[in-house]
Formats: sequence, structure tokens, C-alpha cells
Amino acid sequence: MITGPLITIVDDDDSVRESLPDLLMELGFAVHAFSSREEFLASDSVRETKCLLLDVDMPSMSGPGLQLELRRRQQEIPIVFITGHGDESVRPSLLKQGAVDCLFKPFSETALLAALNAALQSSFKGRAKCAMDYEQV
Amino acid sequence: MLRIMGAYQETTQVQSEHSRVVDALPGLVWTALPDGQVDSVNQRWIEYTGRSLEETRGWGWQSAIYPDDLPGLLTRWRSTLASGEASEIETRLRRFDGEYRWFQLCSFPLRDDDGHIVRWCVLETDVDDRKRDEALLTGEKRVLEMLAWGYSFPVVLDALCRLVEDTTTGCYCSVVLVDLTGTHLEHGAAPSLPASFITSIIGRPVNLDSGPCAMAAYLNEQVIAPDLTSETRWAEYEWCPMAMAHGLKACWSTPISSTTGKVLGAFAIYYDKPRTPTPVQQSLINRFTHIASIAIERAQSDAALKTSEARKAAILNSALDCIVTIDHEGCITEFNPAAERTFGHRRDDVMGKQLADVIIPPSFQERHRRGFARYLSTGEAHMLGRRVEMTALRADGTEFPVELAITRTPIDGPASFTGYLRDITVRKQAEEELRRSEAFLAEGQRLSRTGSFSWRVATDEITWSEELYRIFEFDQRVQVTLELIGTRVHPDDVPLMRDMIDRARGAGSDFEYEHRLLMPDQSVKYVHMVGHGIRHNDGRLEYIGAAQDVTQHRLSEEALGKARSELAHMARVTTLGMLTASIAHEVNQPLSGIITNASTCMRMLAADPPNVDGARETARRTIRDGNRASDVITRLRALFGKDGPTTESVVLNEATQEVIALSLSELRRSRVILRTELADDLPPVRGDRVQIQQVILNLLLNASDAMSGIDDRPRHLVIRTERDQGDQVRLTVQDSGVGFEPQTVDSLFEAFYTTKSSGMGIGLSVSRSIVESHHGRIWASPNDGPGATFSFSIPTSSVGVATESGPGAERMSAVTKANG
Repeated sequence: MITGPLITIVDDDDSVRESLPDLLMELGFAVHAFSSREEFLASDSVRETKCLLLDVDMPSMSGPGLQLELRRRQQEIPIVFITGHGDESVRPSLLKQGAVDCLFKPFSETALLAALNAALQSSFKGRAKCAMDYEQV
Repeated sequence: MLRIMGAYQETTQVQSEHSRVVDALPGLVWTALPDGQVDSVNQRWIEYTGRSLEETRGWGWQSAIYPDDLPGLLTRWRSTLASGEASEIETRLRRFDGEYRWFQLCSFPLRDDDGHIVRWCVLETDVDDRKRDEALLTGEKRVLEMLAWGYSFPVVLDALCRLVEDTTTGCYCSVVLVDLTGTHLEHGAAPSLPASFITSIIGRPVNLDSGPCAMAAYLNEQVIAPDLTSETRWAEYEWCPMAMAHGLKACWSTPISSTTGKVLGAFAIYYDKPRTPTPVQQSLINRFTHIASIAIERAQSDAALKTSEARKAAILNSALDCIVTIDHEGCITEFNPAAERTFGHRRDDVMGKQLADVIIPPSFQERHRRGFARYLSTGEAHMLGRRVEMTALRADGTEFPVELAITRTPIDGPASFTGYLRDITVRKQAEEELRRSEAFLAEGQRLSRTGSFSWRVATDEITWSEELYRIFEFDQRVQVTLELIGTRVHPDDVPLMRDMIDRARGAGSDFEYEHRLLMPDQSVKYVHMVGHGIRHNDGRLEYIGAAQDVTQHRLSEEALGKARSELAHMARVTTLGMLTASIAHEVNQPLSGIITNASTCMRMLAADPPNVDGARETARRTIRDGNRASDVITRLRALFGKDGPTTESVVLNEATQEVIALSLSELRRSRVILRTELADDLPPVRGDRVQIQQVILNLLLNASDAMSGIDDRPRHLVIRTERDQGDQVRLTVQDSGVGFEPQTVDSLFEAFYTTKSSGMGIGLSVSRSIVESHHGRIWASPNDGPGATFSFSIPTSSVGVATESGPGAERMSAVTKANG
């Protein structure tokens, strides 16, 4: 079985961590799920992850907070936010801050795949850009 | 001696010649032997004395001498004989009729050729008139001196009487006075008359009948009673028998008149034998009467002067003001006790000193001297007759303010001045205090934009403080009237003001209200007025009050109110939004799980081979998440259901007052005049306090809204609580707003029915639900006049106790209806 790129899920909701990995594996991705950012940041997944599915609203560090922390660590992981609040107004600011997409629960398989594809493409570009940067150095 | 006698006899011819000459001399003559024995007298002696030569010869002449004068005369006579020198002696000689007259006795010796004294010749000249005049003059002089020296009045009159008695031998003299009322006689003087006689005369009325003195005083004419034995007058008062009982037989009474002709008293001469005054006596009487009048007038003016002096002294001594007099040289001539106290100088120490040196501070002394000198030389007065304030100096050197008035003493001669000074330190301080507190008040009024006023209701006299003029922007010189005030009051608020004035006029109770002013530049001011009614003793009503410019306050309050309502709106919207978000989140989570799991399940089943176990697992999760969503809904329902009504004992008046307190600023902003009439003895009701308050608030705000467009009449709102029939209590809210059409009364309480442009029309509907859930009743009725009345009544707690579930269930349905 071909193992696809690693998708990491950070969400404090049990049902999301339970159902989403199964679906992503059915779609051919490798999946890691964490219930908090701290767990994620402490793991090896930080380096392996090609796309981060991140819950906007969680206790302790918020989604955008994690994004900033990753940038500080120079871990440019494409992020797709997911949120349970039907508040469309948060979307523009999240995208502006560099998120690839923002999915509103409940989201369809199609929407999920589109977001992941976009994320993985940006991840590839980012990687290529990084390689160029290294060559220049 | 014998030889001489012989020679004398030998010349009888010559002697008879001599006798004729001697008899012709204008005086009494006798001759005496060198040893002093009289040997001849002339014819005039015999005629005057009524004594013959035989009776006179030798030492017989002594019987003609006034007994009192005799010893002195004999001594002088012997010494003359011894000395052999001529001499002059004065003595009184008895006339044939018993009257004594003064004579001057000139004795000279006749000597023979050898120088031996052969005879003494004595020439006696009548000097009685001269002597009497002299005595009289001396006496008069003495009496006048006594007057001048200030002898007491009775002493002077006494001396006068004695003088008369001395001058006029054999008489008794008295002076009676007319009393102040002019009706009765008073004692003056009577040194030689018996006390019983005097007592009898004193107190007799001044009339024709009570006696000669009374008659003389009454008629202002001399009354002569030459012989009391034959006198018929004054019988009514039995005066003559009384006088005769005292041995008196004649009375001459002469009135004593003042220079202005007023009768002061009477001067009386009495004799113990009948007599009529001789012309000489008459003239004497006139002189004495004159002296008596001088004495009496003097005594009276002295008494008046003494009284006036005493008064002056009393004034000086008890005056609260300092009184200082100075003479034309500026020297102090009087310094009263108040001045002593005020200036700290003793009178004795400053009398005669320069005023300038004593009480005028050094810095003012030169000015004082110049002014004083100018006045004396030119008569130009700057200070006289004016009340001035200046600085004075105390003995201890301290200076203090005085008020001073100087007058020139109105007397002849060199100028003299009286200064009245008053220490005005305290007054100055009080004035300063007053000025300061007034300044504070004015400043306080200015800072707080508060003016004060008084309004005398009966006369409509209005007094304003400065600040009030500033607030109303009137010139302070104009007289404030209600009409004038009316020109500033905002047209919309004129009914409010009229209403206030009408109430104030009638009741006299305190008032408080707020209205707007429309200023000439079209700006609007808000004025808050408070008036306190005072009923004076005479029944007049006066309001004292304050008016504050609360424009800033009101504007910020309005801004605040607007912000508050915006905020309330925001809060409502936000609450709703948050509620929605919360519900959405709770539901979206399981929905998300359901969809994801369903997608997974389909993928697993579509795989080749199908992952049935996985699909079963994901299907199981889908069911679980479905249940979870259902639980969320259940929880939400429970959340709403949790805020159910409580049942407690509610005191309607308290609940009402809380609502009024909450909505007071809203009502004030809407310029509603609220009157509460809460009955005292209402039993409590049973129910949900907050719900009941919502109903009251709803009725109150509806009433206020109904009056928001009313500007032609006061916006009266009455809240009344009272007992209703059947153990119910009723609350009524009565407005004077737009009211409603009678035919709409049934639809008023239906949901979504509204007369307002901005309103959902659910308030009254909800109110009805709440009232009905309390087993009560709510209804509306139009007023007789403008406006409407809304009332509800609910049972007291003693009657229908609502069940726990009852009101809650009803309310839920009401809310549902409202929401629906």
C-alpha cells in the first residue's frame, strides 16, 4: 500500500479525531491525530506533516497561535482550519494570515479533498522554494 | 467849772440869742458838761423825742436811745470825753411815736481861751433814710451775691426776708410761692413767723378767698389788709382769725412776677398792730419784690439748668457712642466714659490735650490740623454734619476703624465742636464677612450654575440672584415677571410651567420640576427648579428656591441614554448571536462526525473488497453522533426550562416603587409628570415578583410612549394601587396621551397589535399572559378626557395560591405565542 503524505489533525473533539483519520486513510493519506497543540509540537510529526488540519477554537493555544509558533520554528506547514462555529466572518482573517482554507463543520468529503489538494500543492511549492533558498546559500 | 457857769449865766441875753440859733438848726442839738451830763437840748430834740429837758438832762437822754445801740454809744461817748477830740457816732433815736430812726451824732468840744473844754456840743442829724438805703443796698447786694454764688433758693429767700425785717423795724416777712401747676401755694421763706402759721398758709388754693397772699397771686395785684380786726375778706377760709391767733394785725401782700409777667408767688409783710404802708415802705416793698422775683426766677432757671446738666451728664455717661468735645484750639473739653473705654484713655489724663495727639493716628494728624485750621480761618467745613469713617488710635497704639460725626456746638463765642465716634471694628468685620460670603455664594452659584429666587405669590414679586439672570440671559436691570420668564420657556414646556404655577399658587406645597428654555439664539437649555413654600404669619405665601442650569448634565444624560439603548440593542443582538453560535457549535460537532463517518462508511463499502468491519464501525459512530446531536437539543430545552417562574409573597407597592425608581430617568427625559397614589394597607400578592414588575414596567413605558407626541398639555401620568373587590389588589396606570379607539379595546392585548410605529406589539400580550398566569385580569379603558387607563388586578396571597406548575406552563405558552 502506497503511503501518501502525512496529514496531522489537531482537534480537541473526540468524534473528529475518531472519524476524520479513518476517512483520510481511506483516501490514501498517512494520518496523525492530536488532541492538543502541545502534544503535536512535542512529536516528530512536526517535521513530517505535509498538511495540518487545525481546529480554530481550542482551550490553551488557539489555532492561529500554533500557526505563529510553527512559523517561529521555520516549520512552514500548510494549514487548513476547521471550525464548529458557523461564523463565516473569521474566514478572511485566517486566510490572510496564511491559512490555505477554512472548513466549517460539518464539511463534505469533496470540500475536504479540495482543501487538502490545495494545501499539498502549496506545500510542494514551499518545499521547492526552500530548496532554491538552500541552493543560493 | 463854776466860773464858767457863772459867766454863762451872766450873759443870758447872748444865751437866748444862741437858743434861737440852735433851735433853728436842722437837727437835734444838745449840750453837755465836760463830764458828759446833758445840760441843754434844743426845741427840735424835744419835738422829736417827745421828751422835756428835765427828762433828758444829766443821763436821762439814754432812754431815747435804741436799747441795742446804747452800750456801744456809751462806750464811744466816754472815750470821746476822755480824748477831748471831736467824734461821730451813729445810733437810733426813739421818736415820740415809738419809731426809731438813725441819727448821726457829731460831738465837738467847746474850749475857753486857755484851751480847756468848757462844754460838749452834740449835733444829731437824721440819717435814717441814708442809713436805711445803705443797709438796704448792702442787704440787696448780699442777697444778689448769694444768688450769684449759687446759694440754695430757700437760703436766699430767707436772707431776703431777714433783710426786710431788719430794714423795716417791727415787721414779719414771708414769701410764698405758686406751685408748678399754678393752683396752690408753696412755702418759700418765713424766718420769723411761727411754724403753725406757715403750715396753715401752705397748700391753700390760689384764689380770692383763701387769704391775702393767695388773692394777691390770683389777681397779680397788691392786697393791703391794714387792720385784720375789721377785715371781712377771706372769711370762708377763716384766714383773719387764724392770723390774729398768731398775734398779727396787719398784712400787706404783693405779688411776685417774673419778667414775663407770670405770677411766681407773693411777698407778705405782717405787723402785730394795724398799719398801712407809707410811700417809703411801698417803695421798699417794690424793691424787695423785685429781688424776690429775680431770686425765684434764678432758682427756677438754675433748677432747669441743673436738670439739663444732669441730663447731659447722663447722656454723656451712658451713651454707647464716644462723645468728645473740643474747643476752638482743638483741645479736649469732654471725654465721656464710652470714649474712655474705647480709646483706653482716662478722662482726667486727656482733658485739655490736643485731640490730634490723643486719638488721631500720626499719619492723619497733619491732615486733621490743616482741616481744623482751614475751618477756623475760612469756615470751610468738610467734615461737619457728615457721617464719615476714619481710622482712630487707641492708647496702646493700635488703630481701628471708627464712624464719626462732628457738629459745631451752637453757642456764642469761640467755636467748639462735639464729635460722636463709634468703634466699627466689629461692623467692619461683619461687613467684610458678609461681602466674602456673598462673593462665595455668587461664585458657588456661578460654578454650579445655580441661581436662587424668591417669589411672593400674592403680588408676583420675584427676586433673582445674579446667576439666575445669567442662566436666563436677562439683563440684571430688568424687573423679573412671570410673563418675562414665559418668554424664555420652550414653547413645548409652557403648559408644564403653567401647570406648575397653578399648583404652586393653590397648594403652597414644595415643587420640583424641569423644563427647557429656548434662548434667543435658538439654543436650548434645561433648567431644574426646586421651590420651597413658606407661609408667613400674615398668611402670605412665598417660595424660596433654586434653579440649576442642567443643560450639560441633561445633554450628557441624553447621550448616555442613547448609548445605553444602543448598547441594550447590541446586547440583545449579541446575546442572540452568541446563543445561535453556541447552539450551532453544539449541533455542528456531532453533525460533522455523522457526515465524516458516513463518508468513510461509504468509502469502506465501496472498496474492493469492501471493508465491512470498518463500515460497521463508522456506521455505529454515525448513530452515536446522531444521538449526541439529539442530546444537545434536549440540553438546550432544559437550559430554557431552567429559568422558570418562582412563587413568592410580593408587596405590590414595593414592586411598583422599584419599577418607578428604574424608569424615573426615562420618564423625566420624556418630561412626564408622575404622580403616585399608593394605598397604604394592601395585603401582599403571591406570584413572580419579576414578572409582575415586567407588567408594571410595560404599562408605564406604554403610557410614556403614548404621551411622547403630546405638547399642548402636561404629560400627566398617575400610578395608583388600591384594593379591588373580591380580595384582589389593583394597579392602575393612567396617562394623558393619545388614547385608543373604543372599538379596538378587544384587540389591544393581542400579540402583534400595536398603535406605535416602532414596536412589535407583543408587550401587552405578554403582560396579559403574565397577569392571567397569576389568576388575575388586565384591562384598558379610555379616559373621560385625553388618554387611557390600563389596570390589572390579581388576588392577594390569602386567596388563590398559584400552583407551582400553573404560572410556569402558562408563561411558556405565552412566550411561545409571543415568539410565534
